[in-house]
Amino acid sequence: MLNKASTPAEKIVKVLGYIFMAVCLIVALFPIVWVIMSSFKSNKEIMANGLALPTSFAFTGYQEALKIAPILKFFGNSVIITCCSTCINVLSLAMAGYIFAKKRFRGREVLYAILSISLMIPMTSVLHPVYLIINKLGLYDTKAALVLVYSALSMPMSLMILRSTFEGIPTSLEEAAYVDGAGFVRTFFQIMLPCAKGGLASAAVLAFLDGWNEFTFALLLTSSDKARTLPLALSYFSSQFSFNYTAMFAAITIAVIPSIVLFAIFQEQVVSSMTAGSVKG
Amino acid sequence: MKHNKIWIPIFLAPACILFLLVFALPLVLVFVTSLFEYKLMPNTFSFTGLSNYVKLFTQDPNFLPILKNTLVWILIHCTLHVVLGTALAFVLYKKPFGWKVVRTGYMIPNIISQSAIAMIFLNLYNASFGAVNSVLKSIGLEHLCHNWLFDNNTAFPAVTMIWLLFAGYTTTLVLAQLLSVDESIIEAARVDGASSLQIDFMIMFPLVRKMIGTTVIMAAAYMLQLFSMIYITTGGGPGVSTTNLPLYLYTTMKNRYDYGYANAIGVVIIAIGAVCMVAIRKLFRMNEEDY
Amino acid sequence: MKKILAAFLSATMLLGLLAGCGGGSASSGAASSSSGSGAAASSGSGKEIVINYPTFQVGVNTSAPVISALVEGFNEKYAGQYKIVVEEVPGDANYAEKIQVMISTGSLPPVVYGGGYKLLDLALAQDLVVDLTPYVEADPEWKAQYNDASMAANARDGKIYASSMEGSLVGYFYNKDLFAQAGIDAAPKTWDEFFADCDKLIAAGITPMAMDTADGAWCSQLMMGAMIATSGDEGLAFMNTKYPTDYNQDVVVKAVEKLQWLYQNCTTLDAVGGAYENAANNFYTENVAIIANGPWMIGDFSDTTLVEEGFNEKVGVAAYPGGFVYDEPIEGMFVTKQSDPALEEAAIAMVRYFTSDEAQEMALNMQGMVPASPTAEISDEALSTFPLLGDFLSQAAECELRSPTFTSNMVPGLESEWSNNLPNLATGNISAADLCQILSNFAASAQ
Repeated sequence: MLNKASTPAEKIVKVLGYIFMAVCLIVALFPIVWVIMSSFKSNKEIMANGLALPTSFAFTGYQEALKIAPILKFFGNSVIITCCSTCINVLSLAMAGYIFAKKRFRGREVLYAILSISLMIPMTSVLHPVYLIINKLGLYDTKAALVLVYSALSMPMSLMILRSTFEGIPTSLEEAAYVDGAGFVRTFFQIMLPCAKGGLASAAVLAFLDGWNEFTFALLLTSSDKARTLPLALSYFSSQFSFNYTAMFAAITIAVIPSIVLFAIFQEQVVSSMTAGSVKG
Repeated sequence: MKHNKIWIPIFLAPACILFLLVFALPLVLVFVTSLFEYKLMPNTFSFTGLSNYVKLFTQDPNFLPILKNTLVWILIHCTLHVVLGTALAFVLYKKPFGWKVVRTGYMIPNIISQSAIAMIFLNLYNASFGAVNSVLKSIGLEHLCHNWLFDNNTAFPAVTMIWLLFAGYTTTLVLAQLLSVDESIIEAARVDGASSLQIDFMIMFPLVRKMIGTTVIMAAAYMLQLFSMIYITTGGGPGVSTTNLPLYLYTTMKNRYDYGYANAIGVVIIAIGAVCMVAIRKLFRMNEEDY
Repeated sequence: MKKILAAFLSATMLLGLLAGCGGGSASSGAASSSSGSGAAASSGSGKEIVINYPTFQVGVNTSAPVISALVEGFNEKYAGQYKIVVEEVPGDANYAEKIQVMISTGSLPPVVYGGGYKLLDLALAQDLVVDLTPYVEADPEWKAQYNDASMAANARDGKIYASSMEGSLVGYFYNKDLFAQAGIDAAPKTWDEFFADCDKLIAAGITPMAMDTADGAWCSQLMMGAMIATSGDEGLAFMNTKYPTDYNQDVVVKAVEKLQWLYQNCTTLDAVGGAYENAANNFYTENVAIIANGPWMIGDFSDTTLVEEGFNEKVGVAAYPGGFVYDEPIEGMFVTKQSDPALEEAAIAMVRYFTSDEAQEMALNMQGMVPASPTAEISDEALSTFPLLGDFLSQAAECELRSPTFTSNMVPGLESEWSNNLPNLATGNISAADLCQILSNFAASAQ
């Protein structure tokens, strides 16, 4: 759009636009930068001046954080739980999304609507019932409990994304597969799934972020180190050691960096299918 | 393809099982137990009809202020937050220098965990070393320093700022929609002599109306899910000035062990969600086709 | 077509069914107390019975070394027979929350530490607790550990349900250096002197008190409760009332007013909204001169990861003005009903081991924890390791006025209501009388 000579009014708008962009960027990044910066300061430096730059790059905060909370263990749990739940989520909803997109059956829209309702259910309203169910299944304080809950957590979003992805794949492809004698299951796994790669990846990234960042159920459904996840590591610092600010800032940094890295790598994916999913919703 | 029909329920089963276990069954439990006097101490479980709801709306001095907080937050989030995100999207879609960096950077607070954001702001607002007071001091506005999260006068706005300004999802969604608009429409308008502001308001805005509606629904839903950020920062205080319904549900469950009452609050939350959804869809005419 | 419908219908029915039994089991609660971690673990490992013990006394908690030594000792003594597996639940609030939710679903671990969280009464309401009376009666040494105070903490209606590990004799600590800088040479004997000393400290540019509002405002309520208890018979009676419902009493309102004055004049910026940890940090870093807390803090005064070298030399200890100390055994460990009787037996052995005189003496020697048991011996070793403790115990012996703490007497749930309203009191948004009214309303509605 820079090819046209612009009027003074448009120039002003443009400058205001840049200012607005800058302000938004600062507002969004300042808190995180501040935390990362503070994680390198000593407790005394933090107390003396909240804004000053660290005098040296000391990693003692990180060492202490790792000592106080078994962050690496939690990190491993988070990886296992979130990877499993993401796979289950994407696979089961790809199957469902395919059916909703390509097959006609009575009650299709009703069932789809029912499944989408979950988008509007605040999970805090069902904390206690979910706890009861997990306990009845004998899954309390197991990774499986969190895998189950997290698989369902981002269900509506994944369903929307995957349904619209499969809708975008020409039916002729599918019919060609049938003509070649492929069965239903083979058609799905060998023809349709590879075509839906983009949608699968974005649903996976969103599901992964949802699980990776979840806090409340992790606190409620687990109690020991063997199943607890990374966001909980922060709870060590909110009470036990709330005055070891350096270690706390280091722990926050450790907890947020994976999400940021993941997003930086997959952002195009996330953006494109978030859009695809939400248009349908 | 008759023989394929058998696969339909099989393919739907995993999603339905997940839905039943984590959404449907808990939902039924919430509705049913809200009609019971269901307490841990003293241990009771007996049918009392609507008495939990009657108590909630007529006898509980905390409920109305908390309901008001919840609704005010939904309103603020559906308006200011969405306007902010949309405005940025309208700036970015013209692809000014650095637009991709801003898009990515602005999204970051939305993709890290809420508990981390809450911990960050708890420290930003810290009365003695927090960045907010430090900034005020360094520009000579020491008299404006507050114990932001724990002063009755500032707690509500201070907590609100933890999520209000981070409209990354809105920006990303609206921006993607704007970028998908056919260039030729914009060029045609430009040839007809429309200014860029006119193009924005008269042409682009109606084209992304549904997407904005979607982000408003997401904003409302987000406010109804809001829990850990309040819980970690103010814990709902001072008094109940920053308590919302999910937090009230939680404290009712945890501190009063009154599950029937807590689940009645859960039903109110679900009802508000449903009303918001319907109202927003009507407002943005989301069931109609684009023109 | 029909099949789908049928599948969906049967799913719905299943849902209804599950809902039915879910609700039903929630009501009966106690019936199925075994699905919890303990039993599951015990079946997995052959003969050895595994006791899964969730505890917050790990990591940086002051009792962590004691608990880990006890676990080690127990596992050694009962090797091949019983084995404790510790489940770390850092943060006492997290722990209390977790146990509360487990109580509500009737699936408790075999051994629970009641602590200051009223967990025993909650578990008793669900009929989840094993009556220890026959076991205590059969063991004269164990029986000798129960005096009136520990019966009050651990028995209900004459039946013993729990066994205390530690007592709680609480005064306050002060920084002798800072006192000297303000020209104060001894701990105040009366409240008038106390407030005059506060003024002196302020005049010398020293912040007098470490205070808090979060998590029940532990330090702040200790100071305030002491004012109530020393205000006369009425106040002392109030402080000795379990679950009071009327806070609109003159003695209480007056003390709350004093508390408001302390918040507004005598404490740090981060007191309002802060927790015990912030208060403690202010005392460790010599930002403030006084902190109210129990002797378990003494060990920390010489922990150089927290304080500067030589800090312990600067700390003095005192009973409250008017000759008062808090005296209340901390609600002890209790055994919960399990489907496997062998696991229950194991749990009882564990409670017996953890609360024995030897264990309490070890906790005293290691961390300066005051024993709950009257038969536990206060060793010279402990007194020489923790000179402050000896000083405090001799001062406490002279105090005739004693009571539990203000918040430990509160009905369940009131503590967080109290905590949430304190910032309003501190900023003057509500008056002392308003706060007392809020407390009374809550306490009355909880009955």
